[in-house]
Amino acid sequence: MEEKGPQLISRRALLRRAGAAAAAGAAAGTGVPAAAETPAETAATTPAAPAPGASQAPAPAPPRAAWEQLTAEEADLLEAIADQLIPSDDLGPGAVAAGAVVYIDRALGGALSESRDAYRAGLAAFDRYCRASRGAPFRELPHVDQVSALIDVETGAATGARTGFAGSSAAFFNMVRGHVLQGTFGDPWYGGNRDYVGWDLIDYPGVRTAVWPRLQAQLEAGDLEPARRSAYDTEYFDKAVVSAARGETRHGD
Amino acid sequence: MTARSPFPAAGLALAAGLLAASAAGQPRLHEIRVESPAMASGETMPRRYTPDGHNVSPPVTWSDLPEGTREIAVVCADFGAGSPPPWVHWIVYGIPATAGGLPEGLPILPETPLPAELAGAVQGLNGWRRPYYRGPAPPAGTPHLYHFTVYALDEALGLEPGLTRRKLLEAMEGHVIGRGDLVPIYERF
Repeated sequence: MEEKGPQLISRRALLRRAGAAAAAGAAAGTGVPAAAETPAETAATTPAAPAPGASQAPAPAPPRAAWEQLTAEEADLLEAIADQLIPSDDLGPGAVAAGAVVYIDRALGGALSESRDAYRAGLAAFDRYCRASRGAPFRELPHVDQVSALIDVETGAATGARTGFAGSSAAFFNMVRGHVLQGTFGDPWYGGNRDYVGWDLIDYPGVRTAVWPRLQAQLEAGDLEPARRSAYDTEYFDKAVVSAARGETRHGD
Repeated sequence: MTARSPFPAAGLALAAGLLAASAAGQPRLHEIRVESPAMASGETMPRRYTPDGHNVSPPVTWSDLPEGTREIAVVCADFGAGSPPPWVHWIVYGIPATAGGLPEGLPILPETPLPAELAGAVQGLNGWRRPYYRGPAPPAGTPHLYHFTVYALDEALGLEPGLTRRKLLEAMEGHVIGRGDLVPIYERF
């Protein structure tokens, strides 16, 4: 085998990197407001953000999304994958509850549109791979077989036309993993991190434009109330737009 | 099972590898008999033990252990891959001398314990830095040999889990009193 040694896909390993992902998402995001501009769809798929400081109840089961880019079959498979990458467990809600797949679906119509074909081909290849190697669609496999299949995709062992993936299965895995992280821990403005479950998972205290000694002391003592708001809820970022095409950030009037 | 290979070229490579080891002047160790109910040296590994199937670890058995064996270690490696070779697929050590082999499907999930008969055994890190078995996935059209090597040790070393092959070999140095190999083949088309 010529594969490099990729990272474990355990939730613990993912969370080690989550702080960076959250910070990156909060600072820049993808430039695509994942909350659809169509009010009806927005209401159906993205719960309204609570007011800053509002108390949080445990996240309810998310409503089914009206998919914009993914087919229902693709979305179901992607949710099953996301649920293995960051599962809901005793640590809290995971990627599906955070709406990570909703985030990906919306972003594929915008800043991630160049990845649309990779998702279409990759999800179809993954489905073929699971059926050929394990004898059933991914969602019907036992937990251990789901983990095993994902490991093989992650390590590149599923690469090869007869396995299902004509291209690198590792590239597909890394793409999905990165987007699931973005959708779980990024700024909720982009459609994921529903009810701030991603930030709660890693005890991220939220976006603040200034920190003074009292807040720092509270943070270090574990007493700091998280700021439950998007970066774009603040005055400074309210009208910010990101020019993805030019790779730069500029602020509107 | 017979030792006849469906891949003549691979059979030659296997012979060459064995000759090379002999020519290297390594001290002769007690030879352990290593077998499997599922595969044999020189024969193709069943897909079940590869990512083309369920990719579970294959059953491996051993016999004719040298007298004084206190512990056993197993390493599966491909000496035709890796930079530098070998590419390691599986490491199990701390196996009690009373065990007669490894059953099929050792756990890949951290919450799943090893079977009771392997009490005390742990798994090391393979080439992907994973503490469990991952089977062969060679480039299409190139048969590879997979050495399942069993080591008999004269002492229970009490090694921590997660060792690499290099660290394990270092730790076992001076304690190996027997070894044996099972060398099946796998090729993707």
